[in-house]
Amino acid sequence: MCGIVGYAGRRRAAPLIIEGLRRLEYRGYDSFGVATLGPHVAVLKQCGRIPAELPGARSMDGTLGIGHTRWATHGAPSDANAHPHTDCSGKIAVVHNGIIENYASLRKALEKKGHTFRSETDTEVIAHVIEDRYKGDLLAAVRESLPSLEGSYAILVVAEGDERIIAARNASPLVLGLGDGETLAASDMTPLLEYTERVIFPEDGDVISITPQGAEISRDGQPVERPVELVNWCVDDVKKGGFEHFMLKEIYEQPRVFYETVRTANPGPLVDLLRQTPELTIVACGTSYHAGLIGKYLIEEVAGIPVRVDHASEFRYSVPPVRNPVLAITQSGETADTLWAIRAAKARNCPTVAMTNVVGSSVTRLAEASIYTRAGPEVGVAATKSFTGQLAAFMALADRLRPGALGTSIAACHLAMGDLLQQDVQEAVGILRRARSIFFVGRGPFYPVALEGALKMKEISYIHAEGYAAGELKHGPFALLTPDTPAVAICLPGPTYKVMISNIKEIKARGAPVIGIGRAGDQELADVVDLLVTIPGEDQWVWILTASVLLQLLAYYTAKSLETDIDKPRNLAKSVTVE
Amino acid sequence: MQAVILAAGEGTRLRPLTHAKPKAMIPVANRPVIEHVIDALLVNGIRDIVVVVGYRREYVQRYLNSLETPVTVVVQEKQLGTAHALRCAAPEIRDDFIVLPGDNYIDAASIAKIKGEPCAMLVKEHPKPSNFGVVAVRDGMVTGIVEKPEEAATHTVSTGIISLPRDTIGNLAKNEIPDALMGLIRKGLRMKAIPAEDWQSAIYPWDLLVMNESLLQHIAPEKAGRLAGTVAFSGVINVGHGTRIGPNVTITGPVVIGEDCDIAPGTCILPGTSIGSRVTIEPFTVIGRSIVMDDTSIGSHSRVLDSVIGEGCALGDHASTTRSPSLLSIEGQVQKAEFGAVLGDRVSSAPFTAFRTCIVGNGVTIREGRTITQVLPDNTLVM
Repeated sequence: MCGIVGYAGRRRAAPLIIEGLRRLEYRGYDSFGVATLGPHVAVLKQCGRIPAELPGARSMDGTLGIGHTRWATHGAPSDANAHPHTDCSGKIAVVHNGIIENYASLRKALEKKGHTFRSETDTEVIAHVIEDRYKGDLLAAVRESLPSLEGSYAILVVAEGDERIIAARNASPLVLGLGDGETLAASDMTPLLEYTERVIFPEDGDVISITPQGAEISRDGQPVERPVELVNWCVDDVKKGGFEHFMLKEIYEQPRVFYETVRTANPGPLVDLLRQTPELTIVACGTSYHAGLIGKYLIEEVAGIPVRVDHASEFRYSVPPVRNPVLAITQSGETADTLWAIRAAKARNCPTVAMTNVVGSSVTRLAEASIYTRAGPEVGVAATKSFTGQLAAFMALADRLRPGALGTSIAACHLAMGDLLQQDVQEAVGILRRARSIFFVGRGPFYPVALEGALKMKEISYIHAEGYAAGELKHGPFALLTPDTPAVAICLPGPTYKVMISNIKEIKARGAPVIGIGRAGDQELADVVDLLVTIPGEDQWVWILTASVLLQLLAYYTAKSLETDIDKPRNLAKSVTVE
Repeated sequence: MQAVILAAGEGTRLRPLTHAKPKAMIPVANRPVIEHVIDALLVNGIRDIVVVVGYRREYVQRYLNSLETPVTVVVQEKQLGTAHALRCAAPEIRDDFIVLPGDNYIDAASIAKIKGEPCAMLVKEHPKPSNFGVVAVRDGMVTGIVEKPEEAATHTVSTGIISLPRDTIGNLAKNEIPDALMGLIRKGLRMKAIPAEDWQSAIYPWDLLVMNESLLQHIAPEKAGRLAGTVAFSGVINVGHGTRIGPNVTITGPVVIGEDCDIAPGTCILPGTSIGSRVTIEPFTVIGRSIVMDDTSIGSHSRVLDSVIGEGCALGDHASTTRSPSLLSIEGQVQKAEFGAVLGDRVSSAPFTAFRTCIVGNGVTIREGRTITQVLPDNTLVM
């Protein structure tokens, strides 16, 4: 999704903003641009990726500026449609993340007044609306312009002769960073970490005047105070640190993420809610949805509390008649579908709790309580460690709901994951990389593990992959099994073991090769599969973690052998901030 | 001046401890050896540090990423030798440089002696020189190096720490640094021999105990965590955050204990002991002159002395270690040794197991209280 960066301080703004935009690259983008404020407003913008050298930026020497990475929504990716956008005079420049819904009618009205437009974007109208009201005070002009804008936005505006950035936020992410004689603004914390650990999260409706000395926040014309928070992420977390891809680095961080999250997650408020109303609804998207499904098996089995899990995008429109607590899971805390789902839950008077990785993100301000995962910034678009963090938070929750029920599993998980990371998966990769289509199957809690394994595989290797509950395969998908469609079957001791073995035999009988994931020394399984990959662990809760990490490694090394762009898969963005 | 730290080798003679991590990552005084090396460089103002990684490199990189000082990581895909490792770092060399093994301890005072020298080697007198490169010195200059000789002519050994001018990196032939240096010395390179101050190398697992005792002399006192009022302390103690120490525990420093440990009542911890993070010690256990790595639990009424216990071990109650002079076969060679026990990672033992000067492989399970001697291979099941 789009990303914005603003800087007001003592250093040259252009290189610093471009570096900040690079940190936001993981959000996905097709064009970028920078505007700095010297004697005049200088704008540099172009279509495509940010090059290593940008000669045009050398002549931009203002110490105040704004920048943008664009993920096209209104108007194709092109130089003209890239931000920043300027008004008719070229004296006011704007960058914007979000969507202005009434831009067409605004544009018509402005064109009648004689404004000329140079792009097809919704953002350009913001520049002209502000120009229309600008009488020498940019803050006043922005404040007067906002009521006419409908939709979601985080904007940064600069104007010639006005040594400050004016920012405003409504339903799009914006973070301010307070440095030493320099102030920054960005879509998320990653561009700020190099300069400061003191951040402010503005609220919807806030208008902010940003100068090197700090940020003055106002609301409806009245000054307001927002708390300054300290972030514990550090800049090295967003560097690759010698790993070939962020995804691999993040896969290897998982044992630490697990034990830090288990120890620090605070499920207390949700536990209290569940003691009053022992029913839970989970809403989430993508990988977080899969974590929610595993959470369902865990909580239902350990605590006997019924749990339903909905896609956030479905929950909002289907209006299920729930009154119970609603848990919304989103890594970034900015996922638009999940935010709308939680608003819908609040509208029905359901108590709401967020599970997220980002302190101060939008979801934490919507929900009544938050459970934090300790994954640190996740840069690879394919979620790995945030998933593990979510599973750890669920285990901490289950442990509080019924103390002791998980026994020693919690303590064993991170060690078992560490052992798993030494596993060589090349033989399995050799089978999978030639596949046209791959089926991932499991039963019980390993069914969502299979779903997540399939999602990882298709996200980064571009091989078509489907996850199925093993029993469902014979109700249709069997028709697709051929020698070119290998199946990955998770088959571990427990009540589903025998029936999994039969399922595997059924798949084999249709000619599809099977990679079994099981325990070391399981001869019965080894006899029925083409290749047995073993995972460490002593019980199913540990196996959920080790099997998930193994499937991540399979996806990673398969994608690597196919030479895809692992950290930035095509068409995907890290946090999807539009519906 | 730059520094190149070599941390690509496995350290096969330290098995089973190098199963999951290379030798440079083995914790001594609760910090990997390589971190002590990096510290010694930073104290001397050498901040441009290149680390060559190879064996289990993900483990090393994950660790280096968590350090406050940024370092440059270079990969040696196949471990073909130290000179080959150094050549892997060549694209990062822009200045005269010091080469250091990442798995040997060196103090800052020694680095101070070599950092101004464009071409020098730190040497040390060692009682068992035949495990090292034995150096011939004439008029303060290195004239010859013989790797691991059967019979050593002198007790002067190479610490592996050398400084070299920038342009020599292109002239290093051979796979091992001593061979490469001899080639250069024959061609006229003049290399000073400088005696090192404190240098420690662990060849065999039990050598780690000596290194640990020595490094514990430098720990800073700290008492984070929750300590019962009746804990009896003496000497220098460093206790990490989140660690709980129960009533009537006696700790005699120097001792370092990591984060989130549980030390149960009545436990006695003697000098020269390093205990990692998330370690559980059950009541009335005595531990002394030992290294206990992360996530291990030791049952009640146990005695762990002169021992190295790997990560994630679970020892049942009444475990005991005994020193007895023994002959152990390591890498096909018989070594004389006397220590308690060396346990790899994930060893689990039943109550009343006795360990007598033994090396127990990774993932070994001991089902009934037996007396274990000699060397047990990885994943052995003792019924």
